Amino acid sequence: MANKKTQEKETSLLKVLYKFFTSFKLATVVFVLMTIVTLFGTLAQVEMGLFAAKEKYFHSVWIIDEIGNFPVFLPGGGLLMAFLFINMSLGAVVKVKKRWKGAGTLISHIGMLMLFGGAFVTWGLGTDGYMALYPGMKSDRVESYRKWQLEVMPLNDDASADEVWILPADELSSIRPRSPRSYTTDDLPFEIIVSDYSPNAIPTPITAPMAAGSAAREIDGFKLLPQQKAKEAAANIPGCYVEFKPKSGDSDNISAILSAYSFRFDPGESPMPFVFELEGQKFGALIAKKSWHIPFEVQLDEFIFDRHPGISMARNYESRVTRLETDKGAKPLEIKMNEPMRYEGYTFFQESFGPAGSQPGDRMYSQFAVANNPADQWPLWALVVTSIGLGVHFVIMLLDYMARSRKKRIQAAS
Amino acid sequence: MEFTLPTLTIGATTLALITTSCSDSGASGPNLVNRKLSENENSFRLVETSAERFRYQLTPSNPSGSEGSGTSNSANQIGLTYSTPDGWTKTPGSPMRDVNLSFGTNGEGECYVARLPGMGGGLLANVNRWRQQMGASPITQAEADALPVRPLFGQPAKFISVDGKFSGMGATEGKDDYRMLGLILASEAGAVFVKMTGPRKLVEANEKNFNIFTNSLDVGP
Repeated sequence: MANKKTQEKETSLLKVLYKFFTSFKLATVVFVLMTIVTLFGTLAQVEMGLFAAKEKYFHSVWIIDEIGNFPVFLPGGGLLMAFLFINMSLGAVVKVKKRWKGAGTLISHIGMLMLFGGAFVTWGLGTDGYMALYPGMKSDRVESYRKWQLEVMPLNDDASADEVWILPADELSSIRPRSPRSYTTDDLPFEIIVSDYSPNAIPTPITAPMAAGSAAREIDGFKLLPQQKAKEAAANIPGCYVEFKPKSGDSDNISAILSAYSFRFDPGESPMPFVFELEGQKFGALIAKKSWHIPFEVQLDEFIFDRHPGISMARNYESRVTRLETDKGAKPLEIKMNEPMRYEGYTFFQESFGPAGSQPGDRMYSQFAVANNPADQWPLWALVVTSIGLGVHFVIMLLDYMARSRKKRIQAAS
Repeated sequence: MEFTLPTLTIGATTLALITTSCSDSGASGPNLVNRKLSENENSFRLVETSAERFRYQLTPSNPSGSEGSGTSNSANQIGLTYSTPDGWTKTPGSPMRDVNLSFGTNGEGECYVARLPGMGGGLLANVNRWRQQMGASPITQAEADALPVRPLFGQPAKFISVDGKFSGMGATEGKDDYRMLGLILASEAGAVFVKMTGPRKLVEANEKNFNIFTNSLDVGP
């Protein structure tokens, strides 16, 4: 008896949830809120920049904002999309009566759900980065636009290194002011204590007026001064304080300011690590762009750059590259403005060039945007399915209309 | 309960998708990750000082331009070339200044070039810092954006002109009836500041020289 009651209670709770999530009213409310969030997010891009606004308004669960001095709470774009996905799945696919007349709308809704699915997969699994090469250079690594990590490497006598120990970007960026964190590994003879990470900071000489009033710690004539985050997230130059604490306890801690200014801004440069010596071994420490391996190498053979006559503005630029794979050999290719190279799930777009201010005849590098998105083609297929659905719906409606007209004519005639 | 199975299936799928989407794909524990370096990325440049590591050029300027010549180009160790206008004299600068020049009978007029990595604090903060030195009220971002533009290194730089009581760095007393002219070029590649200060009439008489000097500034060989 008790079991029956519990079962009934569960059933009624599920019914309430089912009713709520399949409700047409929910869809309407979600659409209205989406419009408001889109408006807020679009306006915020002016002040915050594209990336920050996208994160705050469209990839979030909740939004806390202000209109004048009044706080405004809104559901974030991520939550709204999840609600709409559930609503559409249950309401337009599961609940809807399955009959031939509704086949077109059913297919269209499945297409729209595929679009949502693609957005979720891109959000969770997609990566984007860049690869910059001078002619003659090759690489199999893609660098992040926005994520920086801390790297420590034992240095050889010729200023090279064979391996690196990495404090991952998400861990590094989670370190807050006055909350140092310690990291260690059996392979290194010291502990690494990282503090006061700032996503955008300038190491400033203490002689500069802006450093005089700052309470930041001074190391080797410099203070790390946090700055406001840049509108474009890729323009932020992070920095932090580090201490290397010898495990042996025989020597003092070694302190340094690490700044992304020491990393390369040009593919021809070599990064400039903070160098220290411990137990007869030289080590380097650096804030470097997060990078990841791709399953093939790309070599830039030639960068073709045309300018408008008389001015330095680019008219056209394209790259002749060779794709190199151990087992498949070399394949020469061209990457142009609207003709990317797609291979193994990666898409190489001709993005930009450098260095800034290059003059005719200068050696220039080519930069490719490299995107890896498992759901790359989903929007296309989603649109195809939606279009087919709408087409089927129109045909069914047309046939229905014709059948009804015919019936009316027959009735009128009889 | 005919709807339970599809409901649960779709709900679970949705939750899984949301969880995947919301989780930070790059998140990791507080452990250091080891990886081998390939030959394309294993060389480093070892520099002696923090100043070099942070891309400050602290090497003192080498005045190769003949002072007061008005036409000769000055190339120096900081990688800049420029013309020294007639009546202007190269003077020792501070480590923060790449070029330091003075003019006027007693050298009371001053003009310098400074460079900082990155945005150097940004346009608005620097404009208002300069305005504060002249006793002028701060301006808004919109007003800073609307400042006139003049070329500097072939790029559009914001031009600032302020009259007032000048209190330079470390000054205990302000100097009345001064004028400040300045150019700020702030970009991701770095920030360049050219600033001229002096008694208003002297600066007025040297504005043409300021333009000659700023137009002549170039990246050296």
